[in-house]
Amino acid sequence: MSNEEVFQTMRDLVAEQFAKEADEVSMETSFEEDLGADSVDLVELVMAMEEAFDVGEIQEDDLSELKTVGDAVRYIAAKLNR
Amino acid sequence: MKIIVDAMGGDNAPIEIVKGALAAHRAYGTEIVLVGRAAQVLGAVEGCGEKTLPAGVQIKDASEVVEIADDPATAFKKKKDSSLTVGLNMLKEGLGDGFVSAGSTGALLAGATLVVKRIRGVRRAALCPQIPVLGGKAVLCDAGANAECTPEYLLQFAFLGSLYAQKVMGMERPRVGLLNIGAESEKGDALRHEAYAVLEEAGRGGRLHFIGNIEASDAMLGGADVIVADGFTGNVMLKALEGTAKLMSKELKGLFLSGTKTKLAALLMKNQMAEFKQMMDPGEVGGTPFLGITKPVIKAHGGSDARAIQNAVRRAAEFAASGFIADVEANVALMQMDMAEKI
Repeated sequence: MSNEEVFQTMRDLVAEQFAKEADEVSMETSFEEDLGADSVDLVELVMAMEEAFDVGEIQEDDLSELKTVGDAVRYIAAKLNR
Repeated sequence: MKIIVDAMGGDNAPIEIVKGALAAHRAYGTEIVLVGRAAQVLGAVEGCGEKTLPAGVQIKDASEVVEIADDPATAFKKKKDSSLTVGLNMLKEGLGDGFVSAGSTGALLAGATLVVKRIRGVRRAALCPQIPVLGGKAVLCDAGANAECTPEYLLQFAFLGSLYAQKVMGMERPRVGLLNIGAESEKGDALRHEAYAVLEEAGRGGRLHFIGNIEASDAMLGGADVIVADGFTGNVMLKALEGTAKLMSKELKGLFLSGTKTKLAALLMKNQMAEFKQMMDPGEVGGTPFLGITKPVIKAHGGSDARAIQNAVRRAAEFAASGFIADVEANVALMQMDMAEKI
């Protein structure tokens, strides 16, 4: 999966979860600042990511590093390309 | 109508859960799926006097059970073959119209939120029991799902409670009150002040019938149909109510048994006392819905007996048939903070 494809899937997941239009979500979108995400939102997003990308379980420690959509895209791309 | 029942959750599982579910099937014709360890569930069915599974009742095997000691936030995920997780997944996949569990409230909330999922636009699901008040019932929203809340959550609880009161409890124009330590608009903490402002805006915009702050004592005297609270405060109120009901029941019993005249009086008032007991008994309501989840999820009290489970299944069926969830989905745009701010 290319980074662009990962982004498109991630964008759709984020838009769905936070009730946004797809074009409101970019690589720079911050989960906390732009989307008002809290811990429950992030856990839910991670579960959706695990399902959509089939990358196994995402560890909680890794979660704290994912501040933006771009961080999540790069994280998933790295997991997929291993 | 098919209701999925967690046969292993609760203090009296599986026998009382199975007994109550079978009673609901007989009384209301509801199809039932009992989820749990098949051998134990079948044993419980036989314990109810049924030689075979009645038509319209199925068993879905699930080898694990979420225990009280399990971490509620992760139990549903770590025990993928638990009656709780299997049941919630069945609900998500459309294999039933509602799900009832008397097991861990925290695990059920986490599982419902993360497996069945919240309605798009709803920030938090709320636990919303019907409570007895003077003149009938009110819905308390939230009674324990969310200890820490934002004004947006309280605004959404108000809408969820109001729609529930209309669709399920049959109220035409439910009065929505914000639970507070005083009736005046300046009373309470920062959360209450901010929530009051957004609820008042929603009321002015005709989206809610907001009546202002309400004290717990006035709420019990029928001052509001929907009592909006953060989960911590709501849970304190709910447990105070349960404890007060038990206190009154014990004290009244003591009074009536205190002498010959009072015993005679008790005999003369037997029917009325039964009605009073029924009004105060949470088992009569049976179950509490999580409002804001995409499908009906009902929490039955942990100590539920068969009668309470029968009523919980009835509540789940009523909730599923009410159109509440479709109503929330159609009106979720009205529940957003930025909508309130725009008015």
